[in-house]
Order: sequence, then C-alpha cells, then structure tokens
Amino acid sequence: MLTLILETAVQFIFVILSAPLFAGIFARFKARVESRRGPSIFQPYYDIFKLLKKETLVPDGSSILFRYVPYVAFGVYCLIALIIPVLIPVPIIFTASADFLGGAILFSFAAFLKMAAAMDSGSNLAAMGVSRLASFNFLGEGALITVFIAVSLITGTDNPYTTNQYLVSNPSANITLVHVFATLAFFMIFLYETGKIPLESSGLQELGMIDESLNYEYSGRLLAVNKWSSYIKQYLLGSVLLNVFLFPWGLFSTSPYFLLDIPVMIGKWLLLIFIVMIIETTLAKVRLFKILDYLAVAFTFSILFLLLSEVMH
Amino acid sequence: MNYDSIVYLISASILVSAFYIQGQRYIMSMIRGQLVQSVLIAVASFLLAYLESSTDLLILGLLILILRGVLITYMLETRMPSRKSYVFEEGVNVPYLFLVDLVFIVIAVFIIYSIIFSSLVPISQPGNSSTLLFPLLLFFQGLFLITSRRSTFTQIVGYVEEENGLVLLAIFLLPVPIIIEASVFLDVLALVVISSVITVEKATHERMEELRG
Amino acid sequence: MTPGTLISILLLLVPGIASIFYFRNIRMATVAAAALDEILSVLLFWIMPPQGFFFVDRTTDVFIFMITSIYLLSSIYSLRYISDRNATGLKQPTYYLLLNLFAVSMLFSAQINNYGLMWVGIEATTISSALLIMTEKSEESLEATWRYIIIVSAGVTFAFISIILIYYSFGTLTVSTILSAGRTNTLFVRVAVSIALIGFGTKVGVFPVHTWLPDAHSEAPSPVSAMFSGVLLPTALYVLYRIFQIDPITSLFIWFGTISIVAASLFLGYQARYKRMFAYSTMENMNLALIGIATMNPLGIVGALYLLISHSFSKAGAFYSSGSVLRSTGTKDVANVKGIAKKMPITSAALLMSSLGVSGTPPFGTFFGEILILYSMVLVNAVPEFIIVVIFLVFAFVGINLNVSRMIFGSPGDNSEPGRLMPAVSLVASIVPLAIGAFFMVVNNAIL
Repeated sequence: MLTLILETAVQFIFVILSAPLFAGIFARFKARVESRRGPSIFQPYYDIFKLLKKETLVPDGSSILFRYVPYVAFGVYCLIALIIPVLIPVPIIFTASADFLGGAILFSFAAFLKMAAAMDSGSNLAAMGVSRLASFNFLGEGALITVFIAVSLITGTDNPYTTNQYLVSNPSANITLVHVFATLAFFMIFLYETGKIPLESSGLQELGMIDESLNYEYSGRLLAVNKWSSYIKQYLLGSVLLNVFLFPWGLFSTSPYFLLDIPVMIGKWLLLIFIVMIIETTLAKVRLFKILDYLAVAFTFSILFLLLSEVMH
Repeated sequence: MNYDSIVYLISASILVSAFYIQGQRYIMSMIRGQLVQSVLIAVASFLLAYLESSTDLLILGLLILILRGVLITYMLETRMPSRKSYVFEEGVNVPYLFLVDLVFIVIAVFIIYSIIFSSLVPISQPGNSSTLLFPLLLFFQGLFLITSRRSTFTQIVGYVEEENGLVLLAIFLLPVPIIIEASVFLDVLALVVISSVITVEKATHERMEELRG
Repeated sequence: MTPGTLISILLLLVPGIASIFYFRNIRMATVAAAALDEILSVLLFWIMPPQGFFFVDRTTDVFIFMITSIYLLSSIYSLRYISDRNATGLKQPTYYLLLNLFAVSMLFSAQINNYGLMWVGIEATTISSALLIMTEKSEESLEATWRYIIIVSAGVTFAFISIILIYYSFGTLTVSTILSAGRTNTLFVRVAVSIALIGFGTKVGVFPVHTWLPDAHSEAPSPVSAMFSGVLLPTALYVLYRIFQIDPITSLFIWFGTISIVAASLFLGYQARYKRMFAYSTMENMNLALIGIATMNPLGIVGALYLLISHSFSKAGAFYSSGSVLRSTGTKDVANVKGIAKKMPITSAALLMSSLGVSGTPPFGTFFGEILILYSMVLVNAVPEFIIVVIFLVFAFVGINLNVSRMIFGSPGDNSEPGRLMPAVSLVASIVPLAIGAFFMVVNNAIL
C-alpha cells in the first residue's frame, strides 16, 4: 500500500515537474544542430515563472469559460498522467479511472475545451486557428482513436500496461504487422499533435497557427498554465509512443527500483528527441492543405492495418 | 527465425507502395513507386523461392525484375514529355480519394475474401490463406486508381498494378507454369507499349458527347 | 507430324508470312493469305489434328471457318476502304500487318489446348486490335481506343484469377485433360467459372462490362468493326464456352445473358448513330448465343452455332454497307441519311438484307438459330427468361429495322455508290446467311 502511494506520487510529480524540461532539452539540441548556442535547458521553467508574475489580462467579451478552462485542461492532463504508463509500468491508484480508449477520449476532451475557450475570446486570429485545428482534428483524432484500439488487438485487452508487458516478454510480437504500422501511424499523429515541423513551425521565426494559436489571447498566469499543459501533453504522447509502441523495455516495477525508472525515461526521451530532431531539421514545413493529405495517410494506415489484422486471425 | 512475419511485412510494404502511388500527384513519382512495387514483388518471389527451394519461383523473380521493373519503367519514362518532373495532374483531391478508396477496398476485398478465398490453402510458406488478402487488395487498388484518375499515364500505372496483383497471387497460391507467366509478362509489356503510343496523342480523358449512351 | 497438326500450324503461319511483305505489296499478300486460310479451314473439317498441342473438334471448326471467312471478306473490303487519304492514324502497311496479327492471335486462341495460352491469345487480340481502332485519327477514336484497352484489359486480367483457380484445382491447364476428367463440383471451380463469365464476358459483351463495345465499333473503320463483331466476340465466346464446360452453372449464365439482352435492346432503342446501333445488336446476338450454349442442350448448342455463323456474315455485311454509306454521305447519324435506295441500289439492298439478318428474320440463318435457342430455353425450364428475351428481341427487331428503313427509303438524296468493290463485298456478305438459312431448311426437311 505504501509502495502504491509512493509510486503514484512519484509518477504524478515527475510528469508535472519534468515536462517543461524535455521541451527545453529539445530546443537546445535543435539550436546546437543549427549552429546556434540556444537557450538553456531550463528556459521553459524560467518562462513559466516569469509569466506567473505578470499581469493577467482578459478580453472584454469573454466569459468564465475563458478564465477557467486553462485550469480544467491542466487538470485533465494530470488525470491522464495517472492513467497511462508514462513512468511506472504497473497500474497505480487512479489508473482504473479510464482505460486506454478513455485516455484517447480525454485527450480529445481537453483539445475541445481549449478550442471552446479560444473561440470565446472573440479574436479573429484565435478563431482562424480554431477552425484550422477543428478541420484537421477530424482526421487526426480518428487516427488517434484507431491507433489506441489497434493496441488492444495485440493482446486482446485495452490495458496498455498489459500490452507493455506482453511486448517485453514476446520480442517477436514487435514486428507483427499491426504493431509496426500502428507505430508508424502513431508517430505521424505525435508529430501533428505536438506541432512539429513538417506540420507546424513555432518558435524562433513565427507563431505556429494551428496549435499555438489557441494561446494567442492568453497572458500572465493563464498563459503559464496553458504552456505547461502543452508541455505535459507532449510528454504524455511521447511516453505512450515510447512505452507502448516503440521501445517498451527497461522499466522496473518493484520497489524501490521504480525510482530507477526516472533516469530510464529520461534516456528513452533523449532517444525520441534525437529522432524528432532529425526530422525537424531535415524537412520543411508543408503547405497547409497538405496537412490533410498527411493525416489522411496516417488514418489510412491505422484503419487498414486494423482491418487486416482482424481478418488475418 | 520466423519467416511468416517477414512475408507479411513484405506484402504490407507492397500494399504501402500501392497507397503511395494512389496519393501522388506527380507522374514521375508514380512511375518510381511502381518500380519499387515490382522490385518488392521480385523480392517476395526470391524469398519464397528460398523457403520452398523451388527454382521456378527464382526464375519468376528474375523475370519480374527484368520485364516489369526495368523494362516497363524505362518505357514509361522515355514517353514522358521532356520536362519530366513537372508533369502534374490537376484536380486530384488526395484525402477524399483515400477515404473513398478505403471504403471501396473494405467492401470489395473483404467480402470477396471471406466468401471465396478463406478456404484456399496456398502452397507457400505461411500456410494459411491470409496472405492471399494482399494480392486481392493490390488488384482492387489498381482498379480504383484507374477509375479515380483522368490522366492516361496514371491509368497505365493502374493497369500494371493490377497485373502485379495477379503475379503476386500466382506466387502465393501456386505458381503457374513458366511459359504462361512469361507470355503474360510479354503481353503486359506490349500493352504498355501500345498505350504509350496513345499517350503521345491524348493525355487526359474527359467525358465525350459522341461516345455517350 | 500428322496432316491435321500441319494444317493447324499452317493456319497460324500463313498470315504471318503475308506480313513479311510489309514493304512490298502487303495488301495483296494479305488477301492471298486470307484466301489460303479459308481453304485450309475448310480442309480442317475433314482432317482434324489429334489432341496434343491443339484441341480442335467440330465446334472449333465452325469458329475457325467463321474467323477465316470474315478475315477474307474484310481484307478484300479494306483494299478499297482504307486509302492513304483517310488512314491518318496508321500507315496502310501497318494496318494490314495488324490485321494479320489480329487474325493469327484469334486462330491461336481457338485452337490451342491450354487455358493459360488461350488467355494469352485473348490478350494478344486486344493488343493487335487496339491500334486498329484509331486508323482514322480523331479525338473520339483515340478515346475509344483507350477505353477499349483499359476496360477489356481490366476484365481479362480479372479472368486470369479464374485461370489460376483452375490450375489450383486440377493441377494442369490442358483443355482436353480437364474436360475429360468429368465434373467436379468444388467451390473453387464454381468461382473460377463465375469469374470467367465476368472476365471473358468483358470481351463478349456481357452486361455490365460491355461498355467498350459501342465506342469501339462506332469509331473503328468498317472492316475492323466487322472483324470485331464477326470474329473477336465469337472467339471470346468460344473460350468462355470451353471454361463453362468444366462446371456448367446454367442458371447464372442464362440470367446474365437475359439481362444483357434487355440492356442491349434498351440502349439500341435510342441510338441516333447507325454504327452504334449495330454494335448493340451484336451484343444482343452474342448474349443470345451465350444463353444457347449455357443450356447445355444439343439443340441449344447447335442453335448457337447457327446463330453465330449467320450473324457473323450478316453483321459483317451490315458494317460493310454502313461503311459505304459513310463514305458517300460522310455522316454517322441516322437522321442525316435519307433515301439512299435510288442512287445506291446495291448498298441499300445489302444493308436491308443485313439488318433483317441480324434482327433474326426468316428465312435467314439467324432466325433458325434463335428459334432453336428459344426452344432449348423452354426445355431447361428457363421460362421467365424465355418470356423476357422474346419481348426484348421484338424491341430490338423494331428498333433496327425502323432506323434502317428510314435510311433507305424516303425522298432520295444524291449520293452515289463508292466504287464497285465495296458494295459487292457487302452484298456477298449479306447473302450468305440466306444460304445458311436455306441450308438449314433443306437439312431439316431431309431429316424431318
């Protein structure tokens, strides 16, 4: 019982506190590759603290939605952090609140809340961003949910922890067809959801107009909470990609070895950052309508191989 | 070493190349995609030749490589107009086509497969009939490519894709005698030659008043 | 080797040899080759090759005779029809070369003793005939050529699946071995035969994969259309027949034939161009023959053979006379051709007799074929199909003859006969079915 509480606390605190760190590591690596010095890896933390101290302005016509949704979305992401295997490979206290599919739907829920709040601000640019996001999400969410269902085809249950253990103990299950193509599809969705090149470029030169535009009207404390939610979302999606699809090995479940999970996760994340960075620095952002092509391909992969694996058994 | 998964993976890659061709707007990329597809089929043939120690499949793989991979690609590439990489096909709405494609394929292939093919037992290595799903998918994907596009080149590539599906079916199910396979290849080659004569004159196909009804 | 095998091989080689004269006088060489082939095919009735490489029985003989006769008539007709002035898509020698290759591929498909090679032969016919359609280059003929290639190839490719399934079930592709092995009722063989119906049926003109038919027939030059209707479609029907014999699924074939006849008659009704009209009439006749074969009744099969051979000559005559009309009036529409009876007597006579022939009027041979087929339909209890077919045959009859009489009778225009060779050939072609009909009556009276 004590181990359980300890594991829960470790996972919760680790996810929330370390999410900005990975974003910072990523920004610094990318800068190094581009022959710049780049910001310090703790820069996101400095940004968040700075924003917390600044004045919060809200647009005139906005309602409670605008002012409280950032906290609600943050809360949703924290809940998701307890449901999926992002640090500890065994279920902890709140894991049974929702299964894997429920996790996917919670992601959609948080995205919907943020979109509603951004629309509520009444700004033109935010409205444009929301319309883009909504039209791309219809394929993106479809692919996300399908991929999460595909996970269940490997083991027969929707529980990602079981999938993780199954993949660790049967290495040959890793090259089954549905697994390989579900991984590919999920990787493509990961790039889309976290706003990486070739889909959205945000940062130095421009403000990405798909995901980032949701933050356009926020300032001060609300902006800090929003940014933090984005970092947590990035961490969660990446960890699912690593632990359930790409690289399920290396996690410990017994006490007190689960504390070793922290460096293991950091190591795995470094690998993921490396891969994403190669993609980011070699490709250019595609034109807006091609994002729909990209998502259609991801969707096709996930559905086709879902059906194929059903028929083949 | 579990060869089943490798066979499945190669078949899946062939399918992926078919979808790649479906999503292209540039004709050169389509021709290259078809080259990749033919090479992958030859690889599958070689793999099965090794697994079943059959020289027939080996010769078949070589024939595929030469006649389909090299010759057809060469023919198609030389017929394109001089500024090759810019030959572009207008008005292709890729995501919509993908979705319609999925529906079409699901209905056609899975129904046909479950009624007919699931009781076939192929001779080749993964002894269950699920490998036959891929050639069928490839065939219908070629058919869909022909019906969804208007450019002559695309339709030629779609036809070659259909024939590739048939060759794959023969490889997986039971290899037809070499004489027949060779004649089939030569036939397809001749057809591609003839089609390319036409593409010089007519590059797109619209509805025509006189040919209605 | 036996004399029979020698004849079969010669049948294939002779047009090939004629093609060597490409740079000299290939036109006359082609005619000579066709005449020689005709004589050989008549000889084949008495001297048949044994079943080894070739598989020739009485039915095959009829088809081969059909092929060589129309080949001869078309090559003679082409001498006048295809001139340098209007052969813009192909050069004249190329036209004759392709015509020879076309004939060889069809003779090959009809005689060979192997299903896979039959398939190859059918594909080869597509290859050699495709370019013939665009002899007179225009936007429409290019489009028709392309549709022909794509639709027929897609269909025939589908038929290859059935060949693979046949090989899988029997372990061999030799026609004689499979047919003498007796009936096997496994699922695969049924599926193979059904797939072959759609696959090879694309070339025969089965609904719904017949869509290339009217386009190709209307845009191709007349001798080529005659060869399509009179030779290509029957050859494809022959191959389908051989596959059908493995496992006869009578009801499926009869239903598809009936639906196709309905479609053909309906489409025929509102055609405004006479060549397309004749194309749909071909489709109707082919499907009637398909029904006759599908009944697996000796009366039905004999009726189908009578129908096919009379129809080949009649349809060839119809297309030849249409070609003459096209040459002198320059229009393809029915409405623009009026009253050619006065100035073009021979062509009008040929046209009238051909159209009566293809719509199944007594005493032409097609009528007797149709009667036999309809009778055999009743014998196998295909009564609803019988009723439907009769109704729509009447529709088609009215449709064709109404249009043709509009063209022939009425106030005379001032066209003139385009030379003497073309009308003569069309007249010969249209009289032959009369002879066949007369032959039939004599034979029956002698028996009865």
